[in-house]
Amino acid sequence: MKLQLKQKSILPGFGLALGFTILYLSLLVLIPLSATFLKASALSWQQFWHIAASRRAVASYQLSYGASAIAAAINLFFGLIVAWVLVRYDFPGKRLFDSLVDLPFALPTAVAGIALTTIYAPNGWIGHWLAPLGISSAYSRLGVVIALTFTGLPFVVRTVQPVLEDLDKEMEEAAASLGANRWQTITKVLLPSVMPAAVTGFSMAFARAVGEYGSVVFISGNMPLKTEITPLLIITKLEQYDYAGATAIAVVMLISSFVLLLAINLLQAWSGGRLKRAHGSELPEIAEAGAAS
Amino acid sequence: MSIEAINITKKFGHFTALNNVDLEIPSGELVALLGPSGSGKTTLLRIIAGLEFPDSGTVRFDGNDISARTARERRVGFVFQHYALFRHMTVFENIAFGLRVRPRELRPQRAQIRAKVQELLKLIQLENLADRFPSQLSGGQRQRVALARALAVEPSVLLLDEPFGALDAKVRLELRRWLRQLHDEIHITSVFVTHDQEEALEVADRVVVMNEGKIEQVGSPDQVYNHPASPFVYNFLGNVNLFHGRVEEDKTYIHDAATGHVVYVRPHLLDIARLPNGGSHFRARIKHINAAGPLVKVEAIAEWGDPVRVELPQERFRSLQLMKNELVFIIPKDVKVFPARKEMARAK
Amino acid sequence: MASITFPTPGLPVSAHATHATTERRWVRWTLIAVAVTFLGVFLFLPLAVVFSSALEKGFATYLAALREPDAMAAVKLTLIAAGIAVPLNMFFGVAAAWAIGKFDFTGKSLLVTLIDLPFSVSPVVSGLIYVLIFGLQGLLGPWLAAHDIKIIFAVPGIVLATIFVTFPFVARELIPLVESQGTEEEEAALTLGASGFQTFWRVTLPNIKWGLLYGVILCNARAMGEFGAVSVVSGHIRGRTNTMPLHIEILYNEYQFAPAFAVASLLALLALATLLAKTVVEWKARQQSAEWEQIIGEAV
Repeated sequence: MKLQLKQKSILPGFGLALGFTILYLSLLVLIPLSATFLKASALSWQQFWHIAASRRAVASYQLSYGASAIAAAINLFFGLIVAWVLVRYDFPGKRLFDSLVDLPFALPTAVAGIALTTIYAPNGWIGHWLAPLGISSAYSRLGVVIALTFTGLPFVVRTVQPVLEDLDKEMEEAAASLGANRWQTITKVLLPSVMPAAVTGFSMAFARAVGEYGSVVFISGNMPLKTEITPLLIITKLEQYDYAGATAIAVVMLISSFVLLLAINLLQAWSGGRLKRAHGSELPEIAEAGAAS
Repeated sequence: MSIEAINITKKFGHFTALNNVDLEIPSGELVALLGPSGSGKTTLLRIIAGLEFPDSGTVRFDGNDISARTARERRVGFVFQHYALFRHMTVFENIAFGLRVRPRELRPQRAQIRAKVQELLKLIQLENLADRFPSQLSGGQRQRVALARALAVEPSVLLLDEPFGALDAKVRLELRRWLRQLHDEIHITSVFVTHDQEEALEVADRVVVMNEGKIEQVGSPDQVYNHPASPFVYNFLGNVNLFHGRVEEDKTYIHDAATGHVVYVRPHLLDIARLPNGGSHFRARIKHINAAGPLVKVEAIAEWGDPVRVELPQERFRSLQLMKNELVFIIPKDVKVFPARKEMARAK
Repeated sequence: MASITFPTPGLPVSAHATHATTERRWVRWTLIAVAVTFLGVFLFLPLAVVFSSALEKGFATYLAALREPDAMAAVKLTLIAAGIAVPLNMFFGVAAAWAIGKFDFTGKSLLVTLIDLPFSVSPVVSGLIYVLIFGLQGLLGPWLAAHDIKIIFAVPGIVLATIFVTFPFVARELIPLVESQGTEEEEAALTLGASGFQTFWRVTLPNIKWGLLYGVILCNARAMGEFGAVSVVSGHIRGRTNTMPLHIEILYNEYQFAPAFAVASLLALLALATLLAKTVVEWKARQQSAEWEQIIGEAV
């Protein structure tokens, strides 16, 4: 299969660069992923269903997807506030906080996992306040939600920030001149403008949380049917050499990942093109003389 | 070096940019490719440079078929519309680039490169800005650096894509004159693309008027302006009045109804008088007079209702003492007649 | 002549005028408080607890934990895995950005989506897919066993899993950047006689250097910190197939909290360095693009 260039280009190296790209991609990503589906196909439908829909698996889905949704929702709410505060206001230490928002991206998940567990365990910094109130923030479902909130924190903030920065102040001034009070302006004019970005951020946080392992596995307690997340279930099956079982659950996760990826791509297309970063992609197209003259 | 483009056709999808175009450019001439957007002029220039490939046709330099050669092998100097300066290199490094990337055997010594760059900096009068970056230069300065960069490799052909399009009017005029002077000194075969007819007529030895992928006329500025070969050329190069008309024997008659011919008259080739002179004339009522400027612009309505634009020299206007709403006679001094086509509707 | 006074800029205007386009003061400060508390609890606290727990038993214990042979082996393995994965993925990212950013071809957006795939796959699954190929019961298992080549439960497997999870980082950074820079400078270089390689090296590369650096920094942070995928392929053999995150897990599960956090503190410092480098590079890149926009803006 040869990929055809739309117009013959005078820049060299296309064949070489594309060939290497496709080769590398196939060897490291496409072939291994296909192998998974291949292995899963060795199972009959019945076997597959038996594993993928077992009580333990279903309980893990409920926990993984449920907690991810809750965590993503928390991040949606607080993320909007954080983005607003970082873009619109000035306060001491703002730059520090702004840089720190990316910490969950930069910090290894295992480090985050043990740190969070230490904080929320019954004798931990926050845990020891909540324990007397009967709230167990570690080794419980709440713990899972807390860990996933940490993991997804930057997503909503970072997708909403550029949109807020680009908003035209004139829109707000127009609304005010037409008689809207501040609350109305925010809810009827500003919020709808950032909604697509916020929803995209929510979906990205959700997708990341579903597959998360390292941050969660320490704080969750890992009791089957109660606090066992799906990725852990896969590992447990592997340790028992139940390759078929692990593969079946993995396939379920892969399919849901792809569906989420598709949804996110569509969302991004809806909210106006790929999200722009501060460096580079905002540049206007150089008007090429090309076909026009 | 002479350039020949033979039977060039180029399509982008369904859009035909060039339709069987033939062009000959003698060695040492400064030629303008003039036309509106979409006429194909930039595409033709890029094909000559080797930056695009035609669907069919050949390009020859000095009689040799170079169609198969890449842009790199053709050794043309190309100046881009937006300069395409290497933004992370200084002015000096930009100009030296072509010399530095030569293969080892052909590469000049560092001292020689330095001397050459200095020479070019002097030519473009930017000796003090050698260490600046493109972002620190004005538009006109960037354009000159782009030109120097192209000249550094001593190309046999210089191609410029709308070189002055992005500049202020005053800078444009200066650089225009400067390009003309440069060409008079170096005599390198040069082709530049422009949509500004004034620029083409002022700078070039020869003007190639293009429209919709075809060449309408090739000639000296005088030829294309005073002896246009088609309505398009007439229209594109200067202001025009259009009338319906008819040619009988040797005389041209201007009528008020469509009769199969179109008469083109330039505003400055119409005179105004209070009495007919016995020659061709028609009546008109003056609607508006604009006396600010080297020529006085008079707008009138002809007896059959069409607007007419006349340009009079200041002294003529003063001697007539024209007033608004006066009924006068308009006397054409020179007209051009073409068969009527859809040009009529478009030109208005 | 009546004297006219104008409001001096900089002095506060009446309260009614301001809250047309800003919020009342108490609203503002409440929001700031909420945001700062949220960020403080979720971001500062974990960082603080890492360092305080690491130093709980004193500085001597801290250093001893780091000098422990298994810990040092873990550090070494982490560096090896990142040292192989990051350059490979960087090379790939540049090639992909050149092919996708400078040329137009059908299937381009499909290719970009495929490159993004590893991002959407759970780390555990990322490790599993290599076990399914190279593990004992995997597709190539018997063949590898016959030739006594160990990939799973050995260093090569760890390197592979690391490459997979960090696969898109550099490419994702570079592709939009290269696309937005157009091809004019490269065309100019070619007309001046530069070869393809010279054009890439002297013209393209300097223009993308900040984006490239940014991608490499992120790629490295993830490579060194990867846990889930490496956990699946490694076999957890102390001193041999443990990276730093895995070593942390082992220590923690043995209730050796201070040593666990000691090793964790190294990674936390790396994270802070990453954040710092990220901020600097972003600032530099923004500067560069602002200059470029100025050039374009004047030309249009």
